[in-house]
Amino acid sequence: MTTIVAPDIRKRVSRIETTPAIPAVLLPLLKLLKEPSERVDLDDVVELVSYDKAIAAQCIRVASSPLFGLAKPPQSISAAVVSLGLRRVESILLTCCMGQAFPISKWGLDPLVFWKHSLGCAMVCRKFSESLAGVDGEKAYMAGLFHDIGFLANCMVFSKEFARAVQHATQEQIPLGEAELAAMGFTHCETGRAVAEQWKLDEEIIQVIAHHHDVERSESSPALVAMVHLCDLLCRMRGLGYGYYERQKADLLFDPAWAILLKEHPDLQEVDLARFTFELDDAIEEISGLVSTVFGGSAKKS
Amino acid sequence: MTIDTQTTGAPAFGARPIAVMDPAIRQIRDLVYKVSGIYQVEEKLYLLVDGCARGLKQLSLKNPREYWDHLTAHPSRDGELRQLLNEITIGETCLFRSQPQLDALRKVILREFVAEKTKQAVKKLRVWSAGCSTGEEPYTLAMNLMEESEGLLKGWQFEIVATDLNDRSVETAKVGVYGDYAVRNTPEYFKRKYFVPSDDKKLQVRPEVKKNITFNRLNLTDESKMLFMKGMDLICCCNVLIYFDGTSKTRVINHFFSNLNYGGYFFLGTSESLLGMSGQFHLVHFPGTIAYWKPPLQGAKP
Repeated sequence: MTTIVAPDIRKRVSRIETTPAIPAVLLPLLKLLKEPSERVDLDDVVELVSYDKAIAAQCIRVASSPLFGLAKPPQSISAAVVSLGLRRVESILLTCCMGQAFPISKWGLDPLVFWKHSLGCAMVCRKFSESLAGVDGEKAYMAGLFHDIGFLANCMVFSKEFARAVQHATQEQIPLGEAELAAMGFTHCETGRAVAEQWKLDEEIIQVIAHHHDVERSESSPALVAMVHLCDLLCRMRGLGYGYYERQKADLLFDPAWAILLKEHPDLQEVDLARFTFELDDAIEEISGLVSTVFGGSAKKS
Repeated sequence: MTIDTQTTGAPAFGARPIAVMDPAIRQIRDLVYKVSGIYQVEEKLYLLVDGCARGLKQLSLKNPREYWDHLTAHPSRDGELRQLLNEITIGETCLFRSQPQLDALRKVILREFVAEKTKQAVKKLRVWSAGCSTGEEPYTLAMNLMEESEGLLKGWQFEIVATDLNDRSVETAKVGVYGDYAVRNTPEYFKRKYFVPSDDKKLQVRPEVKKNITFNRLNLTDESKMLFMKGMDLICCCNVLIYFDGTSKTRVINHFFSNLNYGGYFFLGTSESLLGMSGQFHLVHFPGTIAYWKPPLQGAKP
């Protein structure tokens, strides 16, 4: 898959920013997220969120999910920050913003299925990162949440072609990326990269978006790209895919991405992949519930 | 049974807290996994809780903590643990036990076999149900392979070898009569096509299914007999390895590996894994299930 973004793709994707549906807090939040956490002021975050009451309320609901492990649900954004830490609350906020950012009228994909995969991948990335020393869990979460953003861009600006790709993938039970390439000549990796560059996302996240299907070609941050590739595959193999049977086998331990990740993180050797897989099954129901909470609104608009 | 209904600490994967999951129950789940490779997922956790309740009553113990102590320190711990393992796996003895495994077989694995064996001008498959109990698994395999006989496996021969240590189980298996509970997962289509009504509202497997299967008594620790089980393409051994201690288990797994053809697959129970004993097997993922794969020589992927 090529990751050079063709000018016409970039031009069509550029229309996304002018879509009025994107919550006002999203782009300032993305900017804030690029700052080192010690330089981010809690008051700035609270003020930012206070502009959008709906997002603030949703954020508190999400922070109360057992997936975030709090014994007592927080009553306010400030309380959530005290209990979960600023970085995690930023991740939750980002998730909620994303839920409102894409009220697409013609989804080529079932929006709830898409978000279940993206949020599932975000959760799995963060959980996976806990096994590896020195990996920023929230960065991993963000990478998982954004990795397939190109599918949304495709829904918005290449809706007919993408709908054909989805139909082809579903019928043939092949990976969606393969079907995109056959139907459109490019994939969500290119369109995703165009969106990410336009939104000035962190370079590491751009690499994940552009190369999570061809890890060996990533220009930087190979370990993060490799981790998202593996977690993406794992999600697709455990009921957090795109809503159809993907006729494929994943040999994760012998995937080139595993070797790339292992090179940087020798502690990967200790991960019991079978158990990790079984534990993921336990989280699926909760992830589905969370997706309905966060993304149910945008799904209804489809 | 006195089980603490308070949630304590973050459960596996930060997933939904389980009311019945007091720390001792969680420790028992970990012990079961460590000893058997079987991970009790949340929806099946009631089996473990029920097993603990039976143990508490039988041994006149007060709470799961005391039961945990019994399982780890009491002279009769091995016997008690075996009984508990029996209880948590008992529900898996039915036809069509794991649809994800059957899907993996029919949608992915058979295609691989056909592609590989066609190159060698071989049109024959050998499947082994090791520890077939009362025949549910081999009959399920036979029916599914027969379904493919008019399509993917047209012109192919297949043979299913079904073995169990218990003579009586083997005799019951040969008769092939099943009640409602055993066929609860069997699709109506299969019931109509491959069974005939028997006495007491039970269903009997049709003779044309039976003729594909050879039933035998076999002890998996019988070294000399294991050497004769060569040339398998698929081995299924569901919840049987729990009956072996570490050394015997390793020996049996090594036999399975050498009994498989290159490119062959090994299926365990739904939430069962080989832990650190997978040796040369590759742990591979299919949608909704895992399997162990003996890769082709020189690591060539089919």
